[in-house]
Amino acid sequence: MNAMQGLLDGFQIAFSLEGIMFVLIGVAAGTLIGMLPGLGPITAIAIMIPMLYGMDPTLAMVLMAGVYYGAVFGGSTASILLNAPGISGTVATAFDGYPMAQQGKAGQALAIAAISSFTGGTVSIVLLMLFAPALASVAVSFGPVEYFALMFMGLAAISSLSEGSTMKALISGVLGLMAVTVGIDAQTGTPRFTFGNANLLEGIDFLVVALGLFAIAEVAFLIKNRNDDSLAKTQNIGSLKLTKKDFKEMRGPLIRHSPLGFIMGVLPGAGATVSSFISYITEKRFAKKPDEFGKGSIKGLVAPETSNNAATSGAFVPLLSLGIPGSGTTAVMLGALLVLGINPGPLLFQDHPDVFWGVVASMYVGNLFLLVLNLPLIPYIAKILKIPRPLLISLVVMFCIIGVYSISFNVFDLYLLLIFGVIGYLFRIYSFPAPPFILAFVLGGMMEQSLRQALTISNGDFIIFLESPIAIGLFAVSILSFAFPFFKNRRVKKAR
Amino acid sequence: MLKSADRKISVVLIALAIGYLILSYQLPPYEFVPVDSDLMPKALGYLLIALAVGLFFTGKSDADEDKKEESTTSKSETPALLAVTAMVLAYILLLEVLGFVIVTVLFVFFCSWFLGYKKFKVNATVSILFPVILYYIFNYLLQIRLPAGILPF
Repeated sequence: MNAMQGLLDGFQIAFSLEGIMFVLIGVAAGTLIGMLPGLGPITAIAIMIPMLYGMDPTLAMVLMAGVYYGAVFGGSTASILLNAPGISGTVATAFDGYPMAQQGKAGQALAIAAISSFTGGTVSIVLLMLFAPALASVAVSFGPVEYFALMFMGLAAISSLSEGSTMKALISGVLGLMAVTVGIDAQTGTPRFTFGNANLLEGIDFLVVALGLFAIAEVAFLIKNRNDDSLAKTQNIGSLKLTKKDFKEMRGPLIRHSPLGFIMGVLPGAGATVSSFISYITEKRFAKKPDEFGKGSIKGLVAPETSNNAATSGAFVPLLSLGIPGSGTTAVMLGALLVLGINPGPLLFQDHPDVFWGVVASMYVGNLFLLVLNLPLIPYIAKILKIPRPLLISLVVMFCIIGVYSISFNVFDLYLLLIFGVIGYLFRIYSFPAPPFILAFVLGGMMEQSLRQALTISNGDFIIFLESPIAIGLFAVSILSFAFPFFKNRRVKKAR
Repeated sequence: MLKSADRKISVVLIALAIGYLILSYQLPPYEFVPVDSDLMPKALGYLLIALAVGLFFTGKSDADEDKKEESTTSKSETPALLAVTAMVLAYILLLEVLGFVIVTVLFVFFCSWFLGYKKFKVNATVSILFPVILYYIFNYLLQIRLPAGILPF
């Protein structure tokens, strides 16, 4: 099927009544969740998963995607108004967005953020449409050796690019891989690490891990910070109108950071957070007046906002064309798709072209919705920031419990949820990043399978991994990615 | 002191890895495959030991970030966290006994109240409406049975 036909079919799905409804629900829920500091898209998507069971996979994906890019869109509002980023991808937005709001230009800042998000997102979808099928057609020939190397690279990249200590990120990834070995081994039927407990034979459900590590841990931090009054103070937003001069200033960074953000999103491990920082730093470095940055510069707001939304759409390239997610959020989406019986990867384009094109088409529609939703309605939506924390905390706990119970109907899994919540909390306190854990957990089963398939082909000889040039290339990139943190640390030191 | 926090963690991780490895070596062999189910666990166990040893010796460069996290950890909130954990445990214990609606109403109401939400009417409305509506949606629209418990419907 050619791209034009595919896109037309996709729009047919996106413009169906259900399609429009799910896009709208997704982006609206995403905007709200993104705005609330402390709650992120992973939590929102994981909570939704039980409701997706039995749903059409395309619509489910449309909904989850909407939540994801909606959250990145909405996260900027809290960054600008409160200096409290709604999600980690919008931290850099606050650098110039919050000073603008303090100068009484909150409305303009929000409008600029919305337009930048829309531009970055839309340009990125066009690129996604062009590149994902091409990448998939290369990946069709991949065997277990190449797949193992690819997943290895994904894990290496997310560990080396995540914030903080690389060593801790790697430990987090290894712990994730360990957690997935619990249960009956798919190849030999040997029960592993079940301690004779029948509930563990089927392994740990990924939803338990996702909700525990992210949602429950987030709740713990909400409990700690529940008396933080800054959230209740929303100021007067003021006019949303932009002048011609503003638009002229926005044009440059919009053109520069849409493609840059997309590329960063495609790279495994980078994603919205890293791309927004890189865009901010490069924009500042090449600016004519770098001293304006941090004091309410329009360019300093446009750059990260364009970039983080472009990266979000870019992240769908590896997810859909290779079946290898590059971030925590896309890892949770992959888990959900597997549950729905869809195997993302190169064959997706042959077996379920409607999923890919439906999602792409829905993203065009969704971005438009977001622009409409965010521009005129922002003063009203911002009221969500006033939801009392205690109520929010109790309701999130309730949603987690419903989520886990409704997929397993087993109280044992609820205790596991609590245990993973404690683990997620400890991870945060001791600054171990959780995304490598969830990515490793989602990929772990496939990784072990492809490793053993490859070794079965070679009768146990590891040399098979060095016989494929593609695999060698991927391993080389994995090793190179560990050079990045050293470079990063040096630059941070230099800056000090 | 902070450096020692990382060191303590690395010791815990090494202990975890050793326990994991002991279990891996006890896995029963399966004859007909060139690579058995113990390959990946053994590799992971040794890898974790190596990384934990690495953490033990590199803790210093991360001390700055830890300090920031540590300072936000106010000791006074620990009782609140433990109390909410106890409430969640009670919630899980009673879920299948009393049923979803009753336990959830009680949990949402008391948890919100405990955490400092004192608007009685709003709290009562929210904590009754949400569970009842969700119970209806799950049981009757989605056909996902949440535990009814002692309630007849």
